[in-house]
Amino acid sequence: MLESAVVLVRGENGAQVPLFWHLPEGRTVASLPDSRDLWSVLWEHRKNLVGVAHSHPGGGVPGPSYTDVTTFAAVEAGLGVRLNWWITSATHLIVARWVGPDRLSYEGTLIEEEPLWANLLRDFSEQMKKEREIHNAD
Amino acid sequence: MPIEAHEARLNITWAGQNGDLPDPISYDAADGDVLQWASEAIRGGDVPGIDADPNVDLQDFVVDRFAAKDDQPNKILVRPKTPFGGRA
Repeated sequence: MLESAVVLVRGENGAQVPLFWHLPEGRTVASLPDSRDLWSVLWEHRKNLVGVAHSHPGGGVPGPSYTDVTTFAAVEAGLGVRLNWWITSATHLIVARWVGPDRLSYEGTLIEEEPLWANLLRDFSEQMKKEREIHNAD
Repeated sequence: MPIEAHEARLNITWAGQNGDLPDPISYDAADGDVLQWASEAIRGGDVPGIDADPNVDLQDFVVDRFAAKDDQPNKILVRPKTPFGGRA
């Protein structure tokens, strides 16, 4: 598994539409590096942005890490809007939102009915690992 | 104001707004200094395009540097960081 992310924008009828699959060089099983490209996408599409989803390794109910919440807070401060921050594990999906009062006070809510992009995000995370294994075996 | 080879234009993003500091800064300035100058400029309303904000907090923002290229001078961007980290 390699951690992956997707930027989601507002589509017709309020649907969440995947806009940009974030699969950068240097990502690992448990991290995505800082990325100018990701920030450029977020800034360019800030008016229709709904949020960002990323994958965590393993199963169970995922929760945001310290790196996650400091990124959530920084991006929201830069864009001047609050966003949805989804996190998938192999088995569950949550959405984290700022609840305050502190800068890093984010609370996760379990999503029972998962949108289609959640499994696509899991597929991207697993698929890239398999491709690397195939490449390394050659 | 013309920008010398050792200087850079400082571009800042904050609260959904974006603007350049009117005066150039040193291209080699330390990240901490750049963030401090950017904070002071926003607080004082000195960045055209960005409303003055006494509560500006650039904690967890990063400094990106772009060397001069073609006709473009050195540029430094202050933007939010974007890494994510899950459990290992």
